Amino acid sequence: MSGANPYFLAAFILYVILLMAIAVWAARRTRNVMDFWVFGQRMGPILATWSLIANFVSAVSVIGFTGAVYAGGYSLMTHTILGLMLGVSGLYFVVGLVRRLNVLTFPDLVARVTGTQAARPLAGSVLLLSGWLYLVMQLVGASLLVTAITGVPYQYIVWILGIVFIVYTAIGGLVSVAWTDLVQGVIMVGAVIIALGYMVVDLGGLTEINTRFAAMDPSFVDPTGGGKLSWPVIGATFLAFFGTIFTEQDMLIRIAATRDVRTAKIHLAASGAILSVFYALLVLLGGATAVALVGSGMGVENPDAAFPTLITQYVPTWIGIILVLGVMSAILSTTDTRLHAIGMTVARDMYSYFRPRVGEAHLLRVSRAATVLLGLLATAVAMDPPGTIIVLYGFRAVLLTSAFLIPVYVAIYWTALDGRAVLAAIVAGAVVGLGAQVAGGSIGPVPATFCGVGAAVTLLLVAHWALGPRRRQEAALAGAAADERAG
Amino acid sequence: MKPLGLPLSMFLVFAIVILAGSLGAIHYLIVHVLLRRPFGDELPAGLAGTEGRDDGRMADSPAGGAR
Repeated sequence: MSGANPYFLAAFILYVILLMAIAVWAARRTRNVMDFWVFGQRMGPILATWSLIANFVSAVSVIGFTGAVYAGGYSLMTHTILGLMLGVSGLYFVVGLVRRLNVLTFPDLVARVTGTQAARPLAGSVLLLSGWLYLVMQLVGASLLVTAITGVPYQYIVWILGIVFIVYTAIGGLVSVAWTDLVQGVIMVGAVIIALGYMVVDLGGLTEINTRFAAMDPSFVDPTGGGKLSWPVIGATFLAFFGTIFTEQDMLIRIAATRDVRTAKIHLAASGAILSVFYALLVLLGGATAVALVGSGMGVENPDAAFPTLITQYVPTWIGIILVLGVMSAILSTTDTRLHAIGMTVARDMYSYFRPRVGEAHLLRVSRAATVLLGLLATAVAMDPPGTIIVLYGFRAVLLTSAFLIPVYVAIYWTALDGRAVLAAIVAGAVVGLGAQVAGGSIGPVPATFCGVGAAVTLLLVAHWALGPRRRQEAALAGAAADERAG
Repeated sequence: MKPLGLPLSMFLVFAIVILAGSLGAIHYLIVHVLLRRPFGDELPAGLAGTEGRDDGRMADSPAGGAR
């Protein structure tokens, strides 16, 4: 620990103490399982908005996005960030109906539109794996970052971060998570604005930064990276990230936690506007980082090292402390929300399906136990993550979008759609999307996401029409039975 | 033309991203604030009473979907 920066380390420790104090205070408001799961369905617009913002921006996206801009320029805006932002706005336009359905989780929604409760543990299993992998990767990225910034060895940081977010998520559920997110979201956005402001002044203005960034490589300021990205790849990446907004468990849980449709709409409308500006600033900060480091002879080989290098070697200590707090906020706000979501997936979507008559107190204990166990397991794996986890993590967006986006959201509006067709489309999308990703990311020239979504759409329509005669026969039999009872 | 030192196409991508993220806010402002349209907290008729049909597990759960 000899290389530890005392100022950054002190900021880190004080921040953790502050969060734990907020979490303990908030946990006293958690009285039952509905409070733990969905804030008692009374979350207001400000808390919901900042909870979404704080969760949305992860440490991996801060370090990864600035690193991607450092190495490849602004083309990230053309696919990934555009997909994410249009996804938030798209969810705004369907959230009224989703909130009115009053489902608590995404598997609840799948069960609702398919008319099959068995879909809850099935969809829950996919989301559990996806959420847990995401958690492991967040912990790995976050711990590497904090290690680089504070100088504390990786194996200690993993457990410190792991235990902090496990404890406060387990004691207060979504109540603790949301209140800490409020603080974290504000700090995170403020940190990026202050840091970019400093860099703009330091480097002579935004126009100067972009001009120098373009001089480093003209492809850095080209929407397609100077032709490195083909339009099918841009389209598939866009679609994959767009779809994850609709299919992530934590997004549905937060919608369920809002107190009414108005709040659900406000939190997505406000978050979309704030996040789109935030990401534009973050990408510009990535450009400024490249200009600053390369211009001062501090260029790095590994793009992911760019942002930590900026913090530790380029900016003054006071800006560094602000950025450390921003990074800490990004880390903990995402990991706590994901951990809460996977704990709820286990208790709500899986355990309560197989044990439907257990009491609320029992479900609360199961939720807390799942939160602690899955959190500890993720932390242990993050100590030395096997390569397969990293590979599986890359499949996440393709799998969720291919399997769930079209079948579930079309079924919400097309109420006459046969539930069996929806289930068949989910399975087809998952198998084809995942298969294409395993086969190298595409089938021929068609990217995996297009393959998966295409298979889901095709099977949805074919199965619906094929099951039409059977559906009419079942309806006629049900009508005859009702007439017989009435007679 | 190089707004903020960027080629016009790249500048437009930044503008489109901000517009894309703000579509919900623009809709909310026009429809719910200026035109005062209600939010409609009731389910459309076609969706009312369409809970899972196979075994009623969701309704039986203590913290079931319909609260």
